[in-house]
Amino acid sequence: MALVALVAGARLGRRLSGPGLGRGHWTAAGRSRSRREAAEAEAEVPVVQYVGERAARADRVFVWGFSFSGALGVPSFVVPSSGPGPRAGARPRRRIQPVPYRLELDQKISSAACGYGFTLLSSKTADVTKVWGMGLNKDSQLGFHRSRKDKTRGYEYVLEPSPVSLPLDRPQETRVLQVSCGRAHSLVLTDREGGEGHVFVWGYGILGKGPNLVESAVPEMIPPTLFGLTEFNPEIQVSRIRCGLSHFAALTNKGELFVWGKNIRGCLGIGRLEDQYFPWRVTMPGEPVDVACGVDHMVTLAKSFI
Amino acid sequence: MGSAGLSRLHGLFAVYKPPGLKWKHLRDTVELQLLKVLGVGHGCRLLTDMYNAHLTKDYTVRGLLGKATDDFREDGRLVEKTTYDHVTREKLDRILAVIQGSHQKALVMYSNLDLKTQEAYEMAVRGLIRPMNKSPMLITGIRCLYFAPPEFLLEVQCMHETQKELRKLVHEIGLELKTTAVCTQVRRTRDGFFTLDSALLRTQWDLTNIQDAIRAATPQVAAELEKSLSPGLDTKQLPSPGWSWDSQGPSSTLGLERGAGQ
Repeated sequence: MALVALVAGARLGRRLSGPGLGRGHWTAAGRSRSRREAAEAEAEVPVVQYVGERAARADRVFVWGFSFSGALGVPSFVVPSSGPGPRAGARPRRRIQPVPYRLELDQKISSAACGYGFTLLSSKTADVTKVWGMGLNKDSQLGFHRSRKDKTRGYEYVLEPSPVSLPLDRPQETRVLQVSCGRAHSLVLTDREGGEGHVFVWGYGILGKGPNLVESAVPEMIPPTLFGLTEFNPEIQVSRIRCGLSHFAALTNKGELFVWGKNIRGCLGIGRLEDQYFPWRVTMPGEPVDVACGVDHMVTLAKSFI
Repeated sequence: MGSAGLSRLHGLFAVYKPPGLKWKHLRDTVELQLLKVLGVGHGCRLLTDMYNAHLTKDYTVRGLLGKATDDFREDGRLVEKTTYDHVTREKLDRILAVIQGSHQKALVMYSNLDLKTQEAYEMAVRGLIRPMNKSPMLITGIRCLYFAPPEFLLEVQCMHETQKELRKLVHEIGLELKTTAVCTQVRRTRDGFFTLDSALLRTQWDLTNIQDAIRAATPQVAAELEKSLSPGLDTKQLPSPGWSWDSQGPSSTLGLERGAGQ
């Protein structure tokens, strides 16, 4: 405050230099010849702008944990020679990433899901590639990624985020809302402008398209008639998907909960103990709003009808 | 007339029965119009086949909120009156969605399919699962066409129904809405593939019209029966006769019932 007063005018400065501002008691840092000169020098220094007024916060993805399955998506942890830099090959493998590590990606990721040794990331983009997967792929839980060495086989481990292709009619008009992963299978929920949310499933296990479909490397769409779509109800759409370890749950916009998969100790809640090979309604005295799936049990949050 | 005319009289046709008229009276009237011609012969067997096909029927059901009666009719003995100002179209739609969901589940349960088979899955995808034997009333579709409290109009597509069960449905909808309701009208708009448009009016109950109607319906009857009774679906033997229609039955009946002068 004293410096500003000096710049304004000597007369003002004399007025302010009262008892508390005696020149003998206080010196400016940097040992400038006088306070006025110091202030002038400072005014000439350019101001650096690091962030503007309307800066937008950028999206980031951080990963950590066990990296040898490839689920972290950083190839240099597993195969150091693939990393950048001249001495990358000499660095040791990193088995565990104990603190968050930033994953460099171009797209803005809107949904992420972790399975057993694999990860799925999805973005609400209108591009053709909307879902990336990395990690274990022995059961085709990441789809099919053709190996460069042997064109007939796929990679068993995918070490960096690789596109998973979905068989969409109109990819430019469809957006992926959610991804969810189980032990060896994956689910994806899409939303087409026009209102046809579809569910795609792939991987290994009871996938939900009958007892014959046990493994699929190509994402398969679950027919919407199984979620209650009829002539009477043409506007049924799945609004949320969740995966348990070996079972799946889907909530529709009409407030119905569908489950399918392995019925481990009754985790499906359908009144029977047998496995369910296609989506089946769970009825309860209330309208389900959200659902959580575990290994052998499930919990639903609901509202009463009236 | 002669035998040529008689031979064209084998088949099914639909007739419009106004509310309040007993169906036996209607049947007698149609017979008289045909000058006591023997009934439509082979058509009676087709009737049984149609029953075995377990096709769905469409109804429009009119309900009235605010009171409950013992037989679920408007003129029954009053049991309770309740408020209904909290009922909105959205709540009604939600209740109907739940009813439809639980009935769709029951459709599959009563059809006795082994759900672990691939064919059960394929039928579920096509929406074809239907019980082919006795079961309680099952609703394959229900929606609200009109809602102006206290009145509302539902369209119900169901099978193995009785009129009382349809009225009870209105009563139960009232209970789910935390109020009460009675049924004021039940009107069948479709039976299998016979719709209101193909039903003959009172003025049309004469031989020519009946012959034309039978002829028009025959190909549809054959196609539908073949589709429904084809092997691979669970067909049962002839059931005991007897729809239990109450006196104020739904307003259209199938042609000449079994026993009509055979």
